[in-house]
Amino acid sequence: MVSVLAAELLKVRSRWMPYVLLLPVVGVLAFQTFFGYFAVWRHDRDFEGLYVSVLPWSLPSLLDLTQFLGAIVLAVLVASLTGTEYGWGTVRQALIRGQTRRQYLSAKLLGIAVLAAVGFLLVLGLGILFSAIVTAVDDRPLTLDLPSGGGPSPGDVALMMLRAGYGMLPYMLMAFALSVVGRSTTLGVAGVLVYVIVEAIVIGILGGVGGATADARIYFIGHNVVALLVANQVGGVDYFSLALRDNPPASDLPDPAVAALVIGLYCLGFLAIAFWVFQRRDLHA
Amino acid sequence: MPNNDPEVVLRIVKLSKRYGSRLVLDDLNLEVGRGQVFGFLGPNGAGKTTTISLILGLIAPRSGHVEMFGLDTRTHLSQALRRTGAILEGPSFYPHLSGRDNLGVWGALSGGVDGKRLDEVLELVGLRDRARDKVRTYSLGMKQRLGLAASLMHDPELLLLDEPTNGLDPAGMREVRELIRRLGKTGKTVFVSSHLLGEVEQMCDYVGIIKEGRLLTQGSVTALLRQGQALEMVVTDIEGALEVLAGLPWVPGVTREDNRLVVQAPPERAADLSRALAEAGIYLSELRPRDSSLEDFFLEVTGKASAGG
Repeated sequence: MVSVLAAELLKVRSRWMPYVLLLPVVGVLAFQTFFGYFAVWRHDRDFEGLYVSVLPWSLPSLLDLTQFLGAIVLAVLVASLTGTEYGWGTVRQALIRGQTRRQYLSAKLLGIAVLAAVGFLLVLGLGILFSAIVTAVDDRPLTLDLPSGGGPSPGDVALMMLRAGYGMLPYMLMAFALSVVGRSTTLGVAGVLVYVIVEAIVIGILGGVGGATADARIYFIGHNVVALLVANQVGGVDYFSLALRDNPPASDLPDPAVAALVIGLYCLGFLAIAFWVFQRRDLHA
Repeated sequence: MPNNDPEVVLRIVKLSKRYGSRLVLDDLNLEVGRGQVFGFLGPNGAGKTTTISLILGLIAPRSGHVEMFGLDTRTHLSQALRRTGAILEGPSFYPHLSGRDNLGVWGALSGGVDGKRLDEVLELVGLRDRARDKVRTYSLGMKQRLGLAASLMHDPELLLLDEPTNGLDPAGMREVRELIRRLGKTGKTVFVSSHLLGEVEQMCDYVGIIKEGRLLTQGSVTALLRQGQALEMVVTDIEGALEVLAGLPWVPGVTREDNRLVVQAPPERAADLSRALAEAGIYLSELRPRDSSLEDFFLEVTGKASAGG
C-alpha cells in the first residue's frame, strides 16, 4: 500500500496544477491579513482589523478563509486528478495490474487526503507567518495567550484546525463522486462550484424567510460547516474573513456536534455513490 | 466448474456481451494452452478488444465467465491479473511523467518492480535512451513500446496484447513480432489480437477467428492452413469432372474459375484425384497445388460466415 500511495503522490506532485492553485489562496490570505492590519486597524482603529490580522485572534479568520478557499481549490484538484484518469485512459491501465476497484479508489482518496493535508498545513503555515509579521509590527508578543488572560491552548488550536479541515471534506468528496460518476473533470469542478453558489443563495433565502423555513438550512452542507467554524472563536470574539458566505449568529446555527454529524453523513453518501458506481461500471477504451 | 488443467492458461466459457440491443459477443468459448502464442484474428469491430476487456475484468459479461490459471476471474480476478501483463487498444500513460516514472507507477500497482528490472525492460523495447523524457514527447510507436515494457516488467506468465504493433514502423513491427515469438519460446503464453493476418501468421502457433462476436474457428495455424489447401487443375471435360468430384467424400468443395477447377483438397490427394478422374475417362492437362495463406483462409471463413447470415 505504501508503494501504491507513493505512486499516487508521484502522479500529483509532478503536475503544475497543485502549485498554481495554492497561489491565489496564499495571496488572498496575505491580502486579508495585511489589509486588515494596515487599512482597517492601523488606519481606522477598527477592532475588526486587529482581530482579523493579529495573533491569536486571527487564527479563526485564517482557518475560515483557508477552509472556504481550500474547499473550492481541493474540489478543482480532486476533480482533475480523478477525471483525467478517464481522459488519459490510465484508469484502465491501473485496473489490469491486480488491484481491485475498491483499492484503486481508496489509494486515490488516500493520495488526495495526504495532498490536502500538506496543502492545508502549508497554506495555514504561510497565513500564520503573515499574521506573525503583523503581530510583530504591532509590537505584540507571539503567543496564544490573550492580553486579558486565557486564550486557546495548543490542543484547542489543533481542534480548530481539525474543524476547518473537516469542513473541506464534503466539497472534496462531492467533486470526487461527481468526477467518478461523470468520468470527467468538468462535472466535478462545475458541480461543486454550482452547488456552492446555489447553496449560498438558498440558505440566504431560507434565513430571510425565517421561522420553520429557516430550520431547513440544517440540511445544507455550508450551514453546518459554518456551525463548526463558529466554534473556533478565540476569547469570545466574533471572527471576520473574506470568505464569501453568510455567517449567521451562533444562535441560528446547529450545535457543532450535530453539524459534524450532518457533514459526516454527506461525506459517507458521496463516498458510497462513488464506490458503488465505480464498482459496477464498464470501463471502455 | 473451474478448469484445473494446468496446461490451460486461459479459458473463456460461453462469454456474451451486449450493448443495448447489440450483441457484441455471442457465446464465445476459447482455450489457450501454456506456452502457446495464440492469435486472435478478426476484422475491425469483430469483438477482439471487447473480449480482452472482458478477460481483464474491465467490463462485465452478460453471461459466461473467464478462467485464468484455473482461477475463476469472477472471484479471483486480482490474483489472476498479478500473473498477467496486457496492452490495451491505444497506449495510455501519464503524459507529464517520464517513461520510466510511468513504469514506476504501474510497477507499484503490480506489487513492486525494482529499478533494475525497469531498466531491463526499457532496454528490451529500445527506450533506454528516452526513458527520462516525458511521455508527452513520445511518438505513438514509442508509447506502444512503453506499453509493451509495462506489460512485461513484472515477468507475467500470460500476456494479452491488443494490436501490439499499432503505430510501429516496419522495423518496429518486426522487432515486436520477434519479441513475441521469443516470449513464446521461453514458455510464456501470449494471446495477441490483430487484424493483420500476415503478422499473426508469422507470430502465432494457434489462431482463433472471430467475426461479429462469434468465434468462427480455432486451431493450430498449420491445421487451419491445411484446411484451406486446394488443388488447381485444367481438365478435358469440366462438366464431367464436376460430376465425378461431387461424388468424392473427401472433397468438401469445388469452384470453377473460367476453364479451371479449384478443388478443396490437400496436395497429398493429388494422385487420388487424378485416378478418380481417369477412371471416368477425364484427363488432366494441368494439376498443381494452390498456395494457401492465412489470409485466404480468413477470407474464406469470414466470407462463409457473412454468406451464412
